[in-house]
Amino acid sequence: MEKGNFMETNLVMEGVKFMFLGMGTVFTFLIIMIMCMNAMSYIIHRFFPEPQSNATAQTTGGAQQQDKKKIVAAISAAIAHHRQG
Amino acid sequence: MKNIVLKLLASMMLFAFVFSANAAASEHAATVAADAPQASKTHKEENYQSKPFSEMITGFLKSTGIVALVNPRPDEMSATGQPMSDFHKGAGRVIMILVTFLLFWLAIAKGFEPLLLLPIAFGGLLANIPVAGIAGEHGFLGVIYQMGLSNEMFPIIIFMGVGAMTDFGPLLSNPKTALLGGAAQFGIFGTLVGAVALSQAGFVDFTLQQASAISIIGGADGPTSIFIATKLAPELLGAIAVASYSYMAMVPIIQPPIMKALTTEAERKIKMSTLRHVSRLEKLVFPILVLVLAILVLPESTPLIGAFMFGNFLKESGVVERLNDTLQNALINITTIFLGLGVGSKLAADQFLVPETMFIMVLGIIAFSVGTAAGVIMAKIMNLFPGTQINPLIGSAGVSAVPMAARVSNKVGMEYDRTNMLLMHAMGPNVAGVIGSAVAAGVLISLFQ
Repeated sequence: MEKGNFMETNLVMEGVKFMFLGMGTVFTFLIIMIMCMNAMSYIIHRFFPEPQSNATAQTTGGAQQQDKKKIVAAISAAIAHHRQG
Repeated sequence: MKNIVLKLLASMMLFAFVFSANAAASEHAATVAADAPQASKTHKEENYQSKPFSEMITGFLKSTGIVALVNPRPDEMSATGQPMSDFHKGAGRVIMILVTFLLFWLAIAKGFEPLLLLPIAFGGLLANIPVAGIAGEHGFLGVIYQMGLSNEMFPIIIFMGVGAMTDFGPLLSNPKTALLGGAAQFGIFGTLVGAVALSQAGFVDFTLQQASAISIIGGADGPTSIFIATKLAPELLGAIAVASYSYMAMVPIIQPPIMKALTTEAERKIKMSTLRHVSRLEKLVFPILVLVLAILVLPESTPLIGAFMFGNFLKESGVVERLNDTLQNALINITTIFLGLGVGSKLAADQFLVPETMFIMVLGIIAFSVGTAAGVIMAKIMNLFPGTQINPLIGSAGVSAVPMAARVSNKVGMEYDRTNMLLMHAMGPNVAGVIGSAVAAGVLISLFQ
């Protein structure tokens, strides 16, 4: 297909077509994904909330995760500071 | 007395019997032996002639690597069985060996993705050895390539491991940042247009398949690049993989200038609200959700997305800790060794030292830069709409390069406001970028079916 002269003149147009199709597909996919994620989160929070009996354990888990995030942030802050200084 | 005579007789008879049996056996052996030496003698005579010692020494010297490099053998074929030019057999190999030394230096002294660059570079070193044919069909690099690269197996296994290492929590708590991961894929398709425009202008002769394989470097995702390159343009695999991994290692150098050029100081200081807590069930359902979407929208992307989500599902299920651990550590490490060596086999001089490689390197860095810019611009566009503001610095993390790109966003953000932690916010577009480039890869594959 790349050998034909008549195709060669259209190669850039082919590339542009690829671009529109590709970016269109990527965005369509991600937009559908975002909508599904929102719907999923809503359904899960509405109908399957995390069990109450485990609530304390879960919150501590969450708190631990928060702590971990804070630690990660603190470490990266320290690294950034170190690199600057 | 009589008894003794009897015994003697008996023993003599026994002797006689043993002797005769022995004789028969040796006779048989002699006939066999007579057959065998004749065969081996003629065999030997075909291959080996007695030579004077001086001739043996000159013969041996002719088989050394130095002679093979300086005075290439006319009958030596490339790994693919094609005839090679004398340049690719001699000086080209020396240049490539020096290139692999440069890669060693980058990996060891500069810390450029050493986990992959070292195996790739060493594979390249081995592939450029004259006479030995290590990258050839029966050499061990060639066997590794056949085993897992030509059938796209290794990138898929790597994807499983990456899936097991990925936490979709940040993305789930702020889903709209996934759009940034989509915008960064513009680096892929923008470069695709650039590559076909170059070959249109007559600088270089890239087919549409080759242009697609090169442009996927813009996805900043090593396994995806290798997956697409082996599928669409295996002859360019070496250059594409090296470009992809070296630019990924250079993300902290390439991205910040682009990010700063496209944003104002006020935008760089935007603070983002803390991420909400994501329940375990959400994390468990998410991989299945994305896979179902991929099945419905773009089945061509399911090899990559399926493997990725398999790894992530094992991790989030929380009941197969051993498998999760193997995916994250042992399996991905073993596969990385083989993947690196297999890719390195494509660094043979006759495949790498071609004009196309230079264009691939240039197009690759353009792809990276365009992807970074597109992510940042997308974040600015999203800020035009009502809703919570997004710091445009996390847009650059939309190119996959997990987690390097997210760290860069965090670092640049902190240059302007030391209390502004963007790392977790940037992980959202970062992992969405992996999904985005897998989708883009699926589109490219489906276009050439």
